[in-house]
Parts: sequence; C-alpha cells; structure tokens
Amino acid sequence: MGRFWQRAVLRIALLGGAGAGIGLLYDRPWLGLAIAMLAGLLYQLLWLGRLDAWLQGEKLAFLPEGEGVWARVFSRVDFLKQRNRRRSKRFKALVKQLRQATRSFPDGGVILNESNEIVVFNRAASMMLGFKKKDRGLRVENLLRDPDFVDYLRSDEQSEAVEIVSPLEPDTWLLCHIVPYGLNQKMLLVRDVTQQHKIEHMRRDFVANASHELRTPLTVITGYLDALSDDPQLDAELRVPMEEMSAQAARMRQLVDELLRLSELEADRGVVDGSPVDMRAVVETARQEARAQPNCPATIEAVLDSDQGLRGIRKDIQSIVSNLVSNAVRYTPAAGQITIRWWIDKSGAYLSVRDNGPGIAREHIPRLCERFYRVENGRERVGGEGGTGLGLAIVRHALLRHGGSLNIDSILGEGSLFTCYFPVSRIVAVD
Amino acid sequence: MESEIFGQHISRKFNEELEGLRSQVSTMGGLVERQLTSAIEAIVSADSQLGIEVADRDVLVNQIEVEIDEECGRILATRAPAAADLRLIVAVIKVITDLERIGDEAQRIGILAARLAAEERPANRYDELKTLADHVLDMVHDALDAFSRLDAEDALKVVEEDKIVDEEYDMISRQCITLMMEDPRTIHRFMDVSWAARALERIGDHAKNISEYVIYLVQGKDVRHTEIEAVREQVERAKEFK
Repeated sequence: MGRFWQRAVLRIALLGGAGAGIGLLYDRPWLGLAIAMLAGLLYQLLWLGRLDAWLQGEKLAFLPEGEGVWARVFSRVDFLKQRNRRRSKRFKALVKQLRQATRSFPDGGVILNESNEIVVFNRAASMMLGFKKKDRGLRVENLLRDPDFVDYLRSDEQSEAVEIVSPLEPDTWLLCHIVPYGLNQKMLLVRDVTQQHKIEHMRRDFVANASHELRTPLTVITGYLDALSDDPQLDAELRVPMEEMSAQAARMRQLVDELLRLSELEADRGVVDGSPVDMRAVVETARQEARAQPNCPATIEAVLDSDQGLRGIRKDIQSIVSNLVSNAVRYTPAAGQITIRWWIDKSGAYLSVRDNGPGIAREHIPRLCERFYRVENGRERVGGEGGTGLGLAIVRHALLRHGGSLNIDSILGEGSLFTCYFPVSRIVAVD
Repeated sequence: MESEIFGQHISRKFNEELEGLRSQVSTMGGLVERQLTSAIEAIVSADSQLGIEVADRDVLVNQIEVEIDEECGRILATRAPAAADLRLIVAVIKVITDLERIGDEAQRIGILAARLAAEERPANRYDELKTLADHVLDMVHDALDAFSRLDAEDALKVVEEDKIVDEEYDMISRQCITLMMEDPRTIHRFMDVSWAARALERIGDHAKNISEYVIYLVQGKDVRHTEIEAVREQVERAKEFK
C-alpha cells in the first residue's frame, strides 16, 4: 500500500474517531460515528462526481487538482488520456502516410469483402478500371464483366492471374490477380501489361512469320534434291552427300513445322473445349509411329486401365502422346522397354510414358520444356538422329490448352517417367 | 453493403437474392459484350473461324436469359416484391430481353463476318464499320455500367448517344449504295456490309432501351417513346428532388 493510501485510511480513522468522540459527549457514540462516516462518504462522492464531469466533458483540458487520493487518481487518468491522444495522433499520421503511399502506387488495388463487394480502391485502380467513388459497395463483377474475369473471380483456384482487356480502353491489357487475406477479405491487384502483351505478340508473330517464310525456299530445295537424286546420271560419289542433304532438309522441314505448330499453340491462350477423343486409338497411333522410327526398342507396351476418353482436340492430344513416345524411343537402347499407361482416378486422368533409358539429371528437369533445351551429357541419344528440341514445349502448351500439366520423374541410369495430368472435367465416355 | 435502394429488407436472404439477380444480369451483359467484340474483330480481321465461333456461342447467351427469367419468376412468386424491388424485377426482365437481342445481332454479325472473310476486302478494312461498332460497343458498355451503378444520368447520356449512331448508320448505307452503283459486282459484298451496319444500329437501339429501363428503375418513371428533351428534363428534375 502506498503512502497516499495509508494516509487516506488514517484520515477515515481520524474522522470516525472524531465523530465517535463528539458523540460520546452526548452519550451517542454510534450516532456520531455514523454522521461522520456519512459526511466522509458525501465528500468522496463529491470528488467522484467531479471526476465523472471531467471525463465526460472532453473539452475541459485542465484537471481539477483533487485532494488526497483523488489527486493521485486524477493525475493518473490525465496521464492515460494524454497518452491516448498522442497515440491516436501518431496513428492518424501513419494512416495518412499509408493513404498517400497507396495513392502513388503504380498498380491498382481494390479491397473486396466476402461477397465480392468493393470496399476501397486506390487511385491507380480507379484510373485503370474506371471505378468511381460511389461504386463502393457494388459487386465488382457488375463493373468488370469480362467473362474471363468473372470465371476467375468465382473459381476457388486463384493462384494464377488473369489477363483482361481494360473496360475503358479496348487496346489496354490488364493483369488481374486476386489475393485472399484476413477473414474472407480479398485484394484485387491490377497491373497494366499492355507493353508486355505487345512485345509477346510481336515475338510470336515474328516466329510464325519467319517459319512461314522459311518454308517456301525449303520446298524448292527439297524439290530439286528429290529430282536430282532420281537422276540416273548422277555420280556415284555424290549419292551419299545427296542423301545427307535430303535428310537434313527433311529435318529442317520438321523444325519449321514444329515451330509453326508451337506458335499456333501459344497464340491461342484460352482453354479449348473440343470433342471426345478415344485414347486407345491415340495410344495405338503413337505406338505405330514409334515402330516406324529407326532403332525402335524391342518392346513398347501399352497398358490401358480405363475405357474412358478425353474431351479435347484430337490433333493436340495425339501430338502430346506421340511426342512423349518418340522422345522415349530416341533415348532408349534397342534392348530397352517403353510403357505407355492410361488410367483414371478420383483427381483426374493420367497418361504416362515410362522408359528405362539413361534418365535425366535432376538439375535439367525444370528446364526440359524450354524451347531447344537439350541435355548435353546425361542423356546420350541412342539414334544419333535427334528431334528438334521443340517436342516437350509443344507437349506442355498442348496440355495447358486442355487444362492439364506435365510431371517429369527421372533417376539417372534407371529411366524416366513422363506423366500428363488432365482434370476430371475432361473425362468423357467414348463409344 | 447492398446498394441503398434495395438495402432495407428485414430478410437478408432477399437482399442477397436481389443482389445475385443483378450480378447475373451483369454476367450476361459481360458475355454479350464479349460476343459483340469478337464479332466485330471477326469482320475487321476477316477471321471466319472467329465469326463461326461467335455464332455458335449465342446458345450460352440464350441459356443465361432463360435462367434469369426463371429466377425473376421465382422471386415474384415467393417474395411478392413491391415498389423499388418490383421495379428491379420488371427492369431485369426487360433488360435481359434486349441483351438477348443484342446477342442475336452479334450472332448475325458473326455469320456475316464468316461470309465476308471469303471475299475481297476493301482497302480501308471496313474502317467505317469499325467506327460505328466502337461507338455501339461503348453504348452497350455504358448502359450496363449505368444498370450496375443505378445511375440515371449516365443512362441518359446513352440515350442521347443513339442519335449519333443512327446518323453514322445512315452514312454507311449511303456509302454502300454509292459503291454498289459504281460497280455492280460488289453488290453482294456491300449488301452484307450494310446488313452488318444495320445489326449494329439495332444494337444501339437495344442499348438505348436498356438505359431507359435504368431510368425507370431508378426514378420510377417510364421514359420510353418520349422526346429526348422530356427525358432530360425528367432526369434533371429527379436529381433536384434528390
């Protein structure tokens, strides 16, 4: 107990004592004590009333000085009050700074609540999306009506961003990304990607145009080569170089075709719908193609665990399977074995191609689907005559178009396993 | 945080139903906008494949229209809405009819695009058609925005815009006729162009209708078949009143 409190107790005791003493003079000590206590209580109440009045009247900056313990209580309350005032001042300044920061933020930000209603947005967002101040409380999909965005907003999977055309400028592309935070709150981040879009477009156009332009001269070259090699007067020693030239021209032709195919796949960003594709037929075709390749391994086994097919584009799915199988053939020795498997489980449909070739070192796997990426040492090609280096890139893009993905497992010296995944929604029955 | 007009129901579920209805209309609107953009893109870039895709996708628009119609009927039957709520339902039923028609016109443009793609294109790549289309597209977009925001003033702007679109359409038809007279071999092609322009002009009318329903929805006053001055006066009076 502090000094103040000791003194307060002492004062009550003294007051009580005095009251009782005076009462004793009149032979009524208890009455005296009671009156004294009552007076003391009223006095305390008076101070309590003052404190209450002061707490209520915020404007009353100065503080009744108080007396005894009250002085102490008052100064404590005053201290708390001042500390609060300082704190809220600091917070206000902080909020102001944050506001200014978000305002100058180059990317748009919109905060959405659980039913996708707009809570707040920054200036960039209102510039890019055309939101007005009174739009707060509106559902965001009522203003951003692009079907791609609406699908993205309603899907649970919001890890990837979606690109939409700006509702204000038809030539402006915006990248929208929804990030969930807190309790059911969402932040919609918007970035202007028109420039990247243009560059990407130009690159794709360039590749497509260049490949297309290369085709014509190539046709002329192969035409003359064919005519010349049929010529009976041709020198015997020129035969071998001629054949080599034809082979290389054919290879170049394949390269150009695949480049065109790839740029075609890349240009079509969206997911395609398509029609039912019979996987048995697809796998059978891939097997036959593989048999036609030189140095085909002894056994190519096909295990089809399901009769179901896939909804998609036949040409794309065929090129996925054929590319994987022909890759496997290329890297598997003649005594090796290749297994193609097709199966379905609860999470989706799978197609895998397993070989027991030399395998791929771990560090190469992430880059395997890049265009022209070739493993230099680990994967010795068996046949010598290689692919174009575009096969896996085509596989990946064709899979993306069908909402699927590619998984690669490999152990050096034991073989590789390429597994394609397709979502459940793609599984259909075929007759 | 539902918008003010519809935010005062004791039943939170009812609020959600009405908000959901508005979102559905917006979704349908978004789809129609996309259809229209693609159809125009198909004409301008002579992409017959895209044109056919647009024509095929019209089924989706019709499907949503039926869904929204059913939802409106259900709300009318179960909630017996009154005043602003009733106006919302009535407006929605009308708006989706016009949206569906816009979808039909987009389908028609898609088919025309597929046909035009097979023919020789003029040097200006249907520039005048593109200008008209951009104008119409803006109208549809603004009308749908006005519906989402329940903004009668924005809706009025769309109504006023329709006149310009009509003038542009007249210009294109005249131009087509002149070109057809100059060279009768192009009659076939320019008939298609003028059909496309006609479809766009119709879309402008539908956008105007949607805006008029928005004015009706917000202010409770039917402004169809009235002179534009009277409509403007009505909107301004309501603004003062507010």
